[in-house]
Amino acid sequence: MKRIKILIGTMGMDQHEVGALSVSRMLMDAGMEVVYVGRFNTPKKMVVAGIEEGVDVIGISCHSWEYLHFMPELLDLVKQYNANIPIVVGGSVITPKDETQLIEMGVAAVFGSGSTKAEMVEALRALAG
Amino acid sequence: MSGHFTRSGIPIKPVYTPEDIEDQDYKKQLGDPGVYPYTRGIRPVGSWGWIQRELSGEGDARTSNKQLKYLLSQGQTGIDVIADAPSNALLDPDHPLAVHAVGTQGVSLCCLKDFEDLWEGLPLDSVTLSNSTPAVFTAAALYLVAKKNNVPPEKLRGSVIQGPFYGEPCGYATHMPVKLRVRLASDCIAFCTQTLPKFHSFVEDTYFPCEAGLTAVEEMALGFVEIRYIVKDLLRRGMDIDSFAPRIAILVDCGMDFFEEIAKIRATRRLFSRMMKEEFKAGDPRSLAPVITSHTSGLSLTPQQPPNNIVRGTLQALSLVLGGVQAVEISAFDEAFRTPTPESHRVGLRTQQIIGLETNVTRVADPLAGSYYVESLTNEMEKRIWEMVMDIESKGDPVHLSENGWFKTFFDNAMNRYGREVEEGRLPKVGLNCFRIPGEEDTLLKDVSEAKIQPFKEHIEVIAEYKRNRDREGVRQALLNCHAGARTPDENLTWPIMDALSAGATCGEIAGVLRMAYDYPYDPHGLVEPMI
Repeated sequence: MKRIKILIGTMGMDQHEVGALSVSRMLMDAGMEVVYVGRFNTPKKMVVAGIEEGVDVIGISCHSWEYLHFMPELLDLVKQYNANIPIVVGGSVITPKDETQLIEMGVAAVFGSGSTKAEMVEALRALAG
Repeated sequence: MSGHFTRSGIPIKPVYTPEDIEDQDYKKQLGDPGVYPYTRGIRPVGSWGWIQRELSGEGDARTSNKQLKYLLSQGQTGIDVIADAPSNALLDPDHPLAVHAVGTQGVSLCCLKDFEDLWEGLPLDSVTLSNSTPAVFTAAALYLVAKKNNVPPEKLRGSVIQGPFYGEPCGYATHMPVKLRVRLASDCIAFCTQTLPKFHSFVEDTYFPCEAGLTAVEEMALGFVEIRYIVKDLLRRGMDIDSFAPRIAILVDCGMDFFEEIAKIRATRRLFSRMMKEEFKAGDPRSLAPVITSHTSGLSLTPQQPPNNIVRGTLQALSLVLGGVQAVEISAFDEAFRTPTPESHRVGLRTQQIIGLETNVTRVADPLAGSYYVESLTNEMEKRIWEMVMDIESKGDPVHLSENGWFKTFFDNAMNRYGREVEEGRLPKVGLNCFRIPGEEDTLLKDVSEAKIQPFKEHIEVIAEYKRNRDREGVRQALLNCHAGARTPDENLTWPIMDALSAGATCGEIAGVLRMAYDYPYDPHGLVEPMI
């Protein structure tokens, strides 16, 4: 099976990393390659890093509401760069309404609090083809 | 591992007996409340109570001012304000990276006008004012605002949190070198001992780092490493230990391990007072008696089944009260998924009022003293915390350890460990990894999660306008003075920072020139140009 490569980071001023780091570890345990870009990213930084690293999926971790405001720009940049990289979002602040809104926007998958490792791994494998 | 353990890994026996504390010497290890080594509390019998407050602040300073007045009207007995993420990272609201975070997780504070608006009409000479805001800037602004309102600064009570110098990798990033972080903390404390003698200028925050998933032993060990380093730094400056030690307070976390948290608080008081007396030779009794304040753990909350978080907050607050702390904030039940609503703030405040007024638990000081288990656990916590402090210090100078990434690895490991424990169910979290219910049934108190605080974008324009209307040359000169001061090793930077705030400079601009003086970029994100 192909080794899946995923970029993970947070955007804006969101300094909470517990989720991003523990999800990174889970995905590495599942045999995926994680490019961890940490905090203080802009949408452009995430997309450019994703392209340069040749990742299969870009994962945004969030523990503030900023991601909702950054997301349209991020999705737009993916199109502009013809990147064809699916975007997934995870975080405990995501509510059911947010999830609907994100999917409508074009986010490929959303993982709220309580998502299990198995669910995430399965969804990412499906997205990475 | 088989058997049962506390969160810190201390084995728990099914029962404790006199044998577990047979070597206990009451006077040496406990003492009466208000008596050295203060294990049983820092206040004499009959005078104990705690400040009841909820962490607040949202939008701009005017909005937060209304929120503070509302909470005081509801019986809150002190004020506790947190700045928003950009302000605490020392970026102004008009910074491009800050745009979606202005005022959403705290109050936006970047200039003297903001601080004036925040404290407008508050009884500064009688209410205690606790600040989870950039410390040196807040102390300087508080001094200026008090003077302007004819309140003698020496009457001010309250505190500022000093973000730990090792905190860059654990949510406390200011993009400053560790040496500058240490200097600003020491400068702020030295300034306050001269000008705000009743103000706790040195709040050691063990809460926030602990939220990375640290154990209680790790939390306090890191806290003591920092306290000891700053104390030694102030002594190196020639300050007398008793001139600043009474101004030290510790803001602790409180998780779900009920007795371990109580033991942690009692052990911390004993360790602190012994350290101050025996190692640092403090003589003033106030130097030996640490004020301990507290937040209940936000990390322990779950977005699932939010009413359960009220129960968690209640249990945690009860353990804090039984541990004898000086102030309590309950992380609001909706904090797992949002900045607290007024309703959840009120539930937190009411929880404290119920414990304080309806349960009688406050009538007796340190009511768990003498419990075979609690005393045994207090002794074990004391031993393990101190061993870890010594172990960390044996690895090298804590500033070097920060610079070479040792603390970052420590936090990364803790975050990983915590994530695994929850994922694998070894750390039970009701509603999250056990006793789950389908999302469509999980509706009670869930409606508050959908109402969001929008970024206070109008404030970005207010600050841009503020910057356009200043005496630009005056600001530039004041910033140059901050830069020059930072290049002068013995200058207390609080004074030029205060002058710069008076001249109309912002915290982001001042922080930027201080970074430059230490050969760091003015703007860590490379998006804003310096004025000097």
